[in-house]
Amino acid sequence: MLTDQELVTLFKQGDVEALGLLMERHKAAVYGYLLRLTARPDAAEDIFQEVWLKLVRRPGAYSEREKFRAWLFTVARNAAMDHFRRESSRGAMFAAESGAAYGEGGPPPGALETAVSPEPGPQETLENKVLAETISAAMERLSPDQREVFYLRHYSELSFREIAGMLGVPIGTVLARMSRAAALLRKELQKGVQ
Amino acid sequence: MACEYGEKLILYFYGEAAGELKAGVESHLKTCAPCRGELAALAAAEDWLRAGAAAPSAAVMTAVLAQAANLRASGSFGFRNWTEALFAGALTAVMAVGFSLSARNTSPGLAWNSGLDSGLDSVEYSIYQAQAETSAAQTDWEYNSGLLEAEIG
Repeated sequence: MLTDQELVTLFKQGDVEALGLLMERHKAAVYGYLLRLTARPDAAEDIFQEVWLKLVRRPGAYSEREKFRAWLFTVARNAAMDHFRRESSRGAMFAAESGAAYGEGGPPPGALETAVSPEPGPQETLENKVLAETISAAMERLSPDQREVFYLRHYSELSFREIAGMLGVPIGTVLARMSRAAALLRKELQKGVQ
Repeated sequence: MACEYGEKLILYFYGEAAGELKAGVESHLKTCAPCRGELAALAAAEDWLRAGAAAPSAAVMTAVLAQAANLRASGSFGFRNWTEALFAGALTAVMAVGFSLSARNTSPGLAWNSGLDSGLDSVEYSIYQAQAETSAAQTDWEYNSGLLEAEIG
């Protein structure tokens, strides 16, 4: 199987199929991340398209010396932040549409559940639903910084060192955010069980 | 109760702890109920994130590939010969040097808030990595494996 770097090299040489393979390989992770951040499928798709078009229009923006997934998530994160800036600059109109203007950490997690699964699947038990709601509420209690690291680690599957490099903070900061998030989640889940 | 194993537990849960660090966390877990609770909470949150998996529509994928095919057809991307590739490489090098010499008083944490063209992602990411490595070497005691191992030992 060709590596990401090899596929990009092929794409730079004009092989569009190589781009298709790259997109297939990373689409769920990138789109899932963007959907978590925006909680809106339409916005997530727009940003997803924007991210890949950046590579299409300027293939040289990515250097094969870097890890492709790290570059991809850096671009996705920046594009999402640009999106939030544009949305917040629309002011009242956006707030009226969404009910609240999202900060740069994205919307509260509960907003996403409507976007991802408007109706529970038939296999979803009541117990699972209650647990999902408890976790969703617990995630909502996390700070935007904590949620961001959580989402990045889950979707990008980058190491904490790589995430720290991406965010421009020491790895200790990233781990401390995750640690505080884990402690808070434990407390919230315990409260939910009681 | 605050537990000193907080960060180590995170590394352990995500498979980034090895050797003595991993063994130390496993030993600690036998006697620390709050840490076991945090592991369970992390597992539940990861399951919850996996359950929300979604994919973009085929139309979006097609639109990107169509644009790439159009650019290819028009000869707008891909290096047609070595002269062009060398010219592009030289131009990139000049731009990278110019960028690194320019005064940018933006802290790394605020870089994506700076309003700068996010098209500079590649260069920015390289700078972030270099800065993070430097600062990690200076202040990042949590991930200093020597210290961690000494603590555990």
